[in-house]
Amino acid sequence: MKSNLHILPSTTDLKIHLQTTDYGNFLNNQTNPLTVSKIDTEMRQKLCREFDYFRNHSLEPLSTFFTYMTCSYMIDNVILLMNGALQKKSVKEILVKCHPLGRFTEMEAVNIAETTSDLFNAVLVETPLAPFFQDCMSENTLDELNIELLRNKLYKSYLEAFYKFCKNHGDVTAEIMCPILEFEADRRAFIITLNSFGTELSKEDRETLYPTCGKLYPEGLRLLAQAEDFDQMKRVAEHYGVYKPLFDAVGGSGGKTLEDVFYEREVQMNVLAFNRQFHYGVFYAYVKLKEQEMRNIVWIAECISQRHRTKINSYIPIL
Amino acid sequence: MGCWCCRQWLNPVHHNAGPDQFVFVLAQTIMKARLKGAQTGRNLLKKKSDALTLRFRQILKKIIETKMLMGEVMREAAFSLAEAKFTAGDFSTTVIQNVNKAQVKIRAKKDNVAGVTLPVFEHYHEGTDSYELTGLARGGEQLAKLKRNYAKAVELLVELASLQTSFVTLDEAIKITNRRVNAIEHVIIPRIERTLAYIITELDEREREEFYRLKKIQEKKKILKEKSEKDLEQRRAAGEVMEPANLLAEEKDEDLLFE
Repeated sequence: MKSNLHILPSTTDLKIHLQTTDYGNFLNNQTNPLTVSKIDTEMRQKLCREFDYFRNHSLEPLSTFFTYMTCSYMIDNVILLMNGALQKKSVKEILVKCHPLGRFTEMEAVNIAETTSDLFNAVLVETPLAPFFQDCMSENTLDELNIELLRNKLYKSYLEAFYKFCKNHGDVTAEIMCPILEFEADRRAFIITLNSFGTELSKEDRETLYPTCGKLYPEGLRLLAQAEDFDQMKRVAEHYGVYKPLFDAVGGSGGKTLEDVFYEREVQMNVLAFNRQFHYGVFYAYVKLKEQEMRNIVWIAECISQRHRTKINSYIPIL
Repeated sequence: MGCWCCRQWLNPVHHNAGPDQFVFVLAQTIMKARLKGAQTGRNLLKKKSDALTLRFRQILKKIIETKMLMGEVMREAAFSLAEAKFTAGDFSTTVIQNVNKAQVKIRAKKDNVAGVTLPVFEHYHEGTDSYELTGLARGGEQLAKLKRNYAKAVELLVELASLQTSFVTLDEAIKITNRRVNAIEHVIIPRIERTLAYIITELDEREREEFYRLKKIQEKKKILKEKSEKDLEQRRAAGEVMEPANLLAEEKDEDLLFE
């Protein structure tokens, strides 16, 4: 399907093309002109419906697995709500912008809190996110912390908890999920390091944001925390056989960035998950691949609508 | 009949030309001075109009260049937005939530071209980048590129705004100046010239009148004189005229007792 999409002249043709695939008639109710954001929202809702379908049919411990999967979206939503509540914005408009996969029941109650500690005590304690909050900090420091740092710290404890859960579950699930999560942890460490060059983020702060469940723990993370530029980072990666070829592929022909390379590797690992049977990793892989597909379609649609054909092939191919 | 600007002096009362003529000459001098003034004014205004038009053309050229560049930059910026969304996910809500103060502000300064003040906008940065850590986990590189592209776009927009306001102001100024030049050239100067011509013709006419009058008087006098001489001749011939004693003729004077 992907190979034909990029020759289409307009977004309505895109819609027609998508009808022949698994996506079916999901865009039928949309009037013209078809904007990229509409396509994006519709696809996300479809994914949400499928996910809820899976979830409703699941039992323990699969349902806990699903909860863990939604935690990452919940973290984003909570950060958004906290920001909005602090700035006294109306809850309704923020709720609309929250990611549908990250819904939790206490979302509407967020606006009663005045400060972040109130928020935590009243609302977040009930959610599955509570242990992550407790992990990173005491209540007092919740107020002063930068929102982005908070988001990354939460994600770190979430990833570590998820990893532990998968490992404890054992069996094929652990075999499939643990490498994926290790890769995710290391990837976050690399990207955070890369993006913090030139900002006011200190090295100690940076180190607290690295998830510890990856291959880089502990020496690699320590070395990374000391790195000052891209080359030093690359040298750290060369100690690990898995990451050396990835870093070598950066730059090259086609101008790939580190993030593109990481995305490709993630897609590869997720596709491999489908080769085994009877494990929970398939659900994780399915959702992640579906998301990547959505991103690709949105990218192609944007290129078409902005008439920027040259880069239309820089999406991440699946399979 | 009279000039609209000095009616009282051209009252053509036909009496003795003396004092009137003086007034006419005065009027003529004043009109000449006025004509000179109008011409100088017209030249100055024309120069101003030319300077403004020159600047106008320059600005127009610059506007065209900037607009083309603007198209390119905006396209680039919109595309880098798409790239960033591809890598970093949807960060729009995060960005919108974190807005508090403006980081790029504008100062307005004045520029003077041939007497016309033009506003010029200059941008300056204030405060630190509050979005420094956005995209820390994903897409930071694309976000940095995006920030740079849109910053460039904003700078271009500010410049374009300055250029366009100057364009509009200059246009107004040029129109006004040209109107004035035309008014002077086609209305005021011809009026003054007509008035001047009229004064000159009046003066000429007066002179001619004077001349004629003098001539007529001379003629009349001559006729009178001829007539009286004729009379005298006739009377002398008739012997009625007593010639008065000619003091100079050497005749005997009765009153003289002694010789």
